[in-house]
Amino acid sequence: MFTQVLINGLLKGGLYALMAMGMSLIWGVMNIINIAHGSFIMLGAYATYWLFSQFGVDPFVSLPLSMAMMFFLGWLVQKYLINFVVQADIFITLLLTFGIELLINNLALLFWTADVRKVNVSYGAGNFQLLGTTVPAVRLAAFVLALLISAILFYVMNRSRLGRSIRATSQELDAAKLAGVKVGNIYAITFGIGTALAAAAGTLWSILFPIDPTMGGILTLKSFVVTIIGGLGTMLGPLIGGLILGVVEAVGTNWLGSTYENLISFSIFLLVLIFMPKGILGGRD
Amino acid sequence: MAEQRKVILEGKGLTKDFKGLRANNEVDFTLYEGEILGLIGPNGAGKTTLVSMISGSTSITRGDVLFKGRSIKGLKPFRIGRLGIARTFQIVKPFPHMTVLENIAVGAMFGRRGTRHSARQSLEAAREITAFVGLEKVRDDPADQLNVASRKRLEIAKALAMEPEVILFDEVMAGLNPKEIDKAVDLIRQIRERGISIIVIEHVMKAIKAISDRLFVLQHGEKITEGPPEEVLSDPAVIQAYLGKRYQQLTK
Amino acid sequence: MKKSFIVSGVVVAVAAALPFFLGNFTLRSATDILIFAILASSWNIIGGYTGYASFGNIVFFGLGAYAAAICMNNLGLGFFPALLLSGLVGAAFGYLTGLPILRLRGHYFAIATLGLAEATKALVQNLGITEGNSGMYLPIPSLGIDASYRFFYYTSLGVLVILLLATWLLLRSKLGYGLIAIREDEDAANSVGINTTLFKSTAFSLSGLFSGFAGAIYAYQQGFIKPEPVFTVASTVKMIVMAVFGGIGSLWGPTIGAVIIEVLSNVLSAHFLVIHTIFFGTIVILVILFAPKGVSDIFRGRRKVGVAYFLENIRKNKV
Repeated sequence: MFTQVLINGLLKGGLYALMAMGMSLIWGVMNIINIAHGSFIMLGAYATYWLFSQFGVDPFVSLPLSMAMMFFLGWLVQKYLINFVVQADIFITLLLTFGIELLINNLALLFWTADVRKVNVSYGAGNFQLLGTTVPAVRLAAFVLALLISAILFYVMNRSRLGRSIRATSQELDAAKLAGVKVGNIYAITFGIGTALAAAAGTLWSILFPIDPTMGGILTLKSFVVTIIGGLGTMLGPLIGGLILGVVEAVGTNWLGSTYENLISFSIFLLVLIFMPKGILGGRD
Repeated sequence: MAEQRKVILEGKGLTKDFKGLRANNEVDFTLYEGEILGLIGPNGAGKTTLVSMISGSTSITRGDVLFKGRSIKGLKPFRIGRLGIARTFQIVKPFPHMTVLENIAVGAMFGRRGTRHSARQSLEAAREITAFVGLEKVRDDPADQLNVASRKRLEIAKALAMEPEVILFDEVMAGLNPKEIDKAVDLIRQIRERGISIIVIEHVMKAIKAISDRLFVLQHGEKITEGPPEEVLSDPAVIQAYLGKRYQQLTK
Repeated sequence: MKKSFIVSGVVVAVAAALPFFLGNFTLRSATDILIFAILASSWNIIGGYTGYASFGNIVFFGLGAYAAAICMNNLGLGFFPALLLSGLVGAAFGYLTGLPILRLRGHYFAIATLGLAEATKALVQNLGITEGNSGMYLPIPSLGIDASYRFFYYTSLGVLVILLLATWLLLRSKLGYGLIAIREDEDAANSVGINTTLFKSTAFSLSGLFSGFAGAIYAYQQGFIKPEPVFTVASTVKMIVMAVFGGIGSLWGPTIGAVIIEVLSNVLSAHFLVIHTIFFGTIVILVILFAPKGVSDIFRGRRKVGVAYFLENIRKNKV
């Protein structure tokens, strides 16, 4: 029984990790907290839904497509909106991304209505037995995909020239500028990668859970929690944070009841912020 | 001289470790009442760290600081400020959008005798200090509009307004031209005449020679010597510590 | 100074006279504006003057609302005792949570307050005494209909005036100077003898006090409260935008912002609700891009306002 709870938690945790990765990247590199993060997850989910219901494209196949679409959208948003306020007070950027969130969510509500949708793949009910627990096939697939995408991200950030430019810009802004790096472009690309990751999470989410235009809000908050637990500035942080959150939520709701899920997440959030603000991998304050 | 001089501030075995780096190692020092103690040493010698330990901004890894005989180790910076030790910052920290007068008044409001002054009284008291440091002309200008020399004076004025018994000056002369340096030296002397004991960190050799009663030299986080300026500045170890371009200035 | 006193006095007098000229529906809208003005001005104490941008101030509003409900419903207290207690709950909560949370700076503080608001909402949703998600009822005022509308209007106006007076006094006091010093340079503030922990918590507590009052008034007026509307994070954003738009760090700024934004909002929500929020989202974006110092700064007159002003704001903040 406990193993079942643990496995459920880990599987969901992998998804949380992917969700948070985009936010962590944007925050770590540009010191921008993207309140609209959840909205991009939602858009990715809806992109998958429409491709599936209108054109019958399997979600796992449309994953790269929805990522590409959201990359482009994110790139636009950063380049033509957020880049204008990057140097201002922090809460100015927070407010801006809040405004963007309101805009996206309500446009979505306008066009798609508040009806809940679901991507019902034919293999959705399939599951198999592992260590005496039941593991839904799609959940496992989502988990594996989340890890895969994280690995790709890790590779890109550490081995590619683009990744090096991004990291250089985040660590030494002035030096990067002097070295001729077009910071505005780097920021736009980074934001785009962040939103693409969000879209990937959204795609996977749409296979597992119902979606609606307001789903983003709580997911943004959960992404915060994951990012804080794991610690900023590392690729591994969101992974660890996500798995921990997934497991703690699973165990906690199993013990206290499912309505306690948010209370558990935010309590951990506050505790970590107060006692270990740099997170698990970020070192002690 | 057989005068019994009272010790107002003492450091005993002060040691500061940052992750993997020892910035100060077993530093002892004594500040007598009414004296000006010059603190010199090459860049990175640990001078600012020492001052930060005294003022409470940085925690003390090992050792102690005694103010009028009582340990102030572990006290928060604001508490130490209220006890009577003020400091200036190497990179000045004005309150940018407040006027010069308000900046200085804040020192009076929260310094050693702060509880006796209301906000309005502090603003009044600040006028005298503004004039004392020579900033009357810019009294109602926002602090972020001042030039470098004026900002340094504002930094000094804020510390003064706290009515301290000890002031720690951290490179107040950096960035000043020779005429401004002379004025700063005068100012510091006048501050001492008000009965305040002073530690001055400085790189400008001409100035430090002129104002210090005694000199104290740090290198690589350790004290290498202390004593009267002429002695210290002709000490081969000190000259060695500075090497090269400082040599000429020291032997002037 | 005398001039602004007179102007303020006139504004308050006009506001006090309004109920005699407005119908009940408009009066209700005016009361809502006053409540937002209280929230925005309270936020200004911690966010504007102290420089700690809280994104969770709605938590005090929600706590105030629920405190009022519990006081009036479960404890049988009258409105004014309940109002007072709600404020005190907000103040106490602000002080106690402020102690650990105000150690964080910048982004971390902002999201910590977000987390605090969400955690409190989740708590309220699960507690028995607050009836979880079902919501709580409050007793119906025993006044006539017209009198009810006026009662809530004047109570809100009264709280706002007291808040503005308190803020005005604050700015002349050592606490006020201390808070602004903290905003300008917290390290220097510490060095100069300011007990920043105490001062910050006091500021947070003050904003909690008045936001709590606002919550109590809202609850009694609505007659029925649920966790979702009284704890929505979007409302914190609204109050911040109102403060920013009107001008943070200025006494009447948040109130002006509240008036302008609410009036515009209402004019547009004559159409459908969703358009209204889209409009609001767009306003936020435009204000942030072009006038982050707010409307008050424009009226301060010391600078030439024109396209150049707005472009300068953009150029200053651009990467």
